Amino acid sequence: MMRRFIRHSLYILIVSLLVPMSVGFANPPIHNSDLTCNVCHNCDNPTKESPCTRMCPTRENMHITSEHLLSEAPDTIMLNYIEKESASVRFDHKSHASMSQMNMSCKTCHHYSPKDRIPPCHECHARESDPINLKKPSLKGAFHRQCLGCHREWSHDTKCVVCHISCDDNLSLDNTDVSDIVGISHPVIHVPTSKIYHTPYEPGPIVTFYHDEHVDLFGFQCVDCHVEENCGYCHDLTHPKNLVKTEEEKHEMCVQCHQINNCGHCHDTKRKPAFSHASTGWPLNQYHDKLDCRACHPTRKKIGRLDRHCNSCHGGWNQQNFRHAITGLILDENHIEWECTDCHPDNQYNKQDCSGCHDDDITPENHIPGKHVVQH
Amino acid sequence: MSNHEVPTPINAKFFSKGAIILSFLTLIGALGYIYRLIYGLDTTTNLSNQYPWGIWIAIDVATGVALAAGGFTTAALADIFHRNKYHSLTRPALLTAMLGYTFVVVGLLADLGKYYNVWHPMLPSMWQGNSVLFEVGICVMIYLTILYVEFFPIVIERFMGHVNLPGLLSKYNSLIESFLKISNRTLYRVLSLFIIAGVVLSCLHQSSLGTLMVIAPYKMHPLWYTPILPLLFLLSALSVGFPMVIFESILSSWSFKIKPEIKTLASIAKYTPILLFCYLSIKVADLAIRNAFGYIGETSIESFCFILEMVIGVIIPMVILFQRDKRHSIKYLFLSALCIIFGILLNRINVFLVAYTPPYSTGYYFPSFVEIAVTAGLISGLILVYRFMVIHLPVISIQRVKYNAVTDTPKSESTVKA
Amino acid sequence: MDKDRRKFLKLSTVATASLIPSVTSASTEHCEDDFDNAFGVLVDTTVCVGCRNCELACNQQNELPEQPEEHFSDKSVFNSMRKPSVEAYTVVNRSIDSQPSELGSFSKIQCMHCNHPACVSACIVGALTKCTHGVVSWDAWKCIGCRYCMIACPFQIPAYEFKEPLKPRVMKCTFCYDRIHDNKKPACVESCPVEALTFGKRRDLIKLAHSRIETSPDKYYDHVYGEKEIGGTSWMYLASKEFINYDLPKLGEEQIPQMTEIIQHGIFKSFLPPLALYGFLGLVMHSIRQNKKKETENDEQS
Repeated sequence: MMRRFIRHSLYILIVSLLVPMSVGFANPPIHNSDLTCNVCHNCDNPTKESPCTRMCPTRENMHITSEHLLSEAPDTIMLNYIEKESASVRFDHKSHASMSQMNMSCKTCHHYSPKDRIPPCHECHARESDPINLKKPSLKGAFHRQCLGCHREWSHDTKCVVCHISCDDNLSLDNTDVSDIVGISHPVIHVPTSKIYHTPYEPGPIVTFYHDEHVDLFGFQCVDCHVEENCGYCHDLTHPKNLVKTEEEKHEMCVQCHQINNCGHCHDTKRKPAFSHASTGWPLNQYHDKLDCRACHPTRKKIGRLDRHCNSCHGGWNQQNFRHAITGLILDENHIEWECTDCHPDNQYNKQDCSGCHDDDITPENHIPGKHVVQH
Repeated sequence: MSNHEVPTPINAKFFSKGAIILSFLTLIGALGYIYRLIYGLDTTTNLSNQYPWGIWIAIDVATGVALAAGGFTTAALADIFHRNKYHSLTRPALLTAMLGYTFVVVGLLADLGKYYNVWHPMLPSMWQGNSVLFEVGICVMIYLTILYVEFFPIVIERFMGHVNLPGLLSKYNSLIESFLKISNRTLYRVLSLFIIAGVVLSCLHQSSLGTLMVIAPYKMHPLWYTPILPLLFLLSALSVGFPMVIFESILSSWSFKIKPEIKTLASIAKYTPILLFCYLSIKVADLAIRNAFGYIGETSIESFCFILEMVIGVIIPMVILFQRDKRHSIKYLFLSALCIIFGILLNRINVFLVAYTPPYSTGYYFPSFVEIAVTAGLISGLILVYRFMVIHLPVISIQRVKYNAVTDTPKSESTVKA
Repeated sequence: MDKDRRKFLKLSTVATASLIPSVTSASTEHCEDDFDNAFGVLVDTTVCVGCRNCELACNQQNELPEQPEEHFSDKSVFNSMRKPSVEAYTVVNRSIDSQPSELGSFSKIQCMHCNHPACVSACIVGALTKCTHGVVSWDAWKCIGCRYCMIACPFQIPAYEFKEPLKPRVMKCTFCYDRIHDNKKPACVESCPVEALTFGKRRDLIKLAHSRIETSPDKYYDHVYGEKEIGGTSWMYLASKEFINYDLPKLGEEQIPQMTEIIQHGIFKSFLPPLALYGFLGLVMHSIRQNKKKETENDEQS
């Protein structure tokens, strides 16, 4: 009797446990339902060893701008992943990429670029938007957001045919002539070497701006000065932009680096010569001349005067690791053992002082401590 | 004295000068009505998606119902509270209410997009307990039926004993006669139940008409939007009840050249200023609580209409009617009744039209010609039917035959009989 | 043995009784309270480019009056604020404050499919219903054409076929009920090229909206329109500036029909107040009548 009772109670227990469970299964728990495996993992069976986690596609940690060059970029890309639903788009990648230099550069579109590779859009953006992960737009949405945002800025239009070639045209990538893409191949952007501005400033009406210096020499990126100059900045078909700037706006960009009270720095009565380091009072020698400005002036903007002592940069040099021959003088065996400061006291490396060992009548001019070499 | 006042059909010509003008207006209204039924609301009205309700709702329905309040207020006073001296007023008031509600329904049908579906609220499958309009609709339907039942004794009184149908129909004479007899007996017993039900139903839907606009808090002007709108509507309907009876009584006495029952009217008028005072104080308190007084000062159509409504509709008649001597003057009595009726009309128009501002409007609503014609036609039609009824049915109680008669001879009643 | 059986029965009743709440709560999950599980759409006005594809898709889906092809690419319509009409269940408007020279931002306007719709509460015959999937739908057969729904709607959405003399319809967004039922997105959502419209469970959309605001606080005005407005709506909006610029009126959190329903249900609380009034009046009538009778009897006697 006792056993029977226990058995019955067990039944009840099991039933009472199972029923709510089945109810629970019928209505899966609502919390966290927006989290599925493939939100974070891109393979079906992630393990502890190889979790294959996706990188979070944020705009930080961008490798594309530092690892890839514009010249490596493909000229034209055929966007035909969703061919069945819409006509393909032949995307003139090169001109868009070059234009993007004016704005946010490659990361305008390649907002996710892990190290060593550039994933194609459809790797993350599925054809259908994920009903669970609502944050991520589908491929169609992602493309359109990239394109229409700028395209409507200059045309004020959102017509499909601007980008979508009609289905009948059996165009492929082999057809390399890009100019026929409904006439939107962008002309080459002329980058000026220098520009001369005539200003109303009487003591120095002429301002010479060396564009190449700022880009090549000072290492400025386009976007550093051309802030938010996307397509619509110049191309607004319905309402041309007023590009005339006020005095203040004109100075605004320059004074970020140059001091505003030093008018003569930019203004002159004639065309200013291009920048030469000699004008700063320190002509660069053949080695320094080859260096990028930033090698010595690490802060790109506000390039200031540096300590001229060699060891302010070359602090790690000593008699062992410094190849004296590059100065044009191979030290003889008597001198090669000496420490640098024995001959160059007070860190003055352009001066030699022999008095530490020799009498006054011995100077570097009449007693060469080695042998001059001819440099090539 | 009440013994001498027996309601009788009035001996008068139907087509007086005024009746001819009214017939003309009714005809135009009827044509407009037919025009609306054929061509729809767009061609005939100025209603739009921005202003979905117009004067057909504000005047024909809302004001119509309010002005028909004389029926239940007089019934309550005379039949429930047994103030017998007012019995002479119940029949005209009842007739007004019955015709008023009938024309409310006729007017409503013009406004309804699918007028042929008007019976839908009666189907239990479509009952919608949350809807204020549903309650109003059901109450009006039942109340209208009750009004007909209440009025039926008057028809019985007129025809019982001398049903005389012409031609072929004459063979039904005896049948109808017995029907009238039976209904007379049953009605006599149960009439008081109907009267009370009528009062209850009236209180319900008179107030609910106010609740209608409570659902649009973001569209209503703060001068009128208040959760106690139903209370204000009920109070104003109660207030207009007696003035409406006075107004009609005086008008018909002028029209039929009968001496107005000034004593009864003056006596019934004494309740009105008290009701108006209650209404005014609640209104003021409401404005104060909602902090809406400032809106009166703004110079807009709304503030102007509000001031007009309060001054003409409430304050002036209240001041007049509080004075005993003015209550006994036909002129002042008529003037104040007119003011109150105008005030009610303006109030209903204000609540339903002036206060209603859609969030995105590109214009204002003003009724079209057809809308005005139909409304005017309905009112004239109502007056004509009223005239017809009082000529043919014992509705109005008469003391003296001729306006000019000096001697008050109670036997004159017999001479009136048509 | 008998005793045991009784015990078992007793126990099983206790067990079942304890189960009842969990079972019933799962089975009586009726649509009206289940707003979070209802469907909704999040409109991100910062993404919208004003292409009007949604208008085109809506027009075709609902078989609205045919329009020439250019009609939907005409941008001059943005010069004025539009409202949904009998010819368009949805319209795209440019924000009020944007200058004609600017690109402007856009918002799509249609029925919001409120959680507590004023129109549904107002409808005299229950032709408007809020049910499965959160859709507010209209029943052509029941409607009598009183247009009280239009008075009640705080968004000024329902449009009326005033031109139709015989069978005028109340026209408004259907939320593409048939499509949703077939596990498809509404036509407008599907047609949006930039996916400014996100279709999903209302609960998920609210989370999504807040996470978007959180990730780009500079881009968004910190408010999800429709999350709490008038008790919540199925369609919700994100914007970069105040919503009043987008044709979306400033509304409180109180449900619109609340007040009228409180009044109505107060007056009709199990019909007690009307019955009480009836009884009271009857009593008054009776007692006064009795008094009068007595008086007249007294008079006669004296």
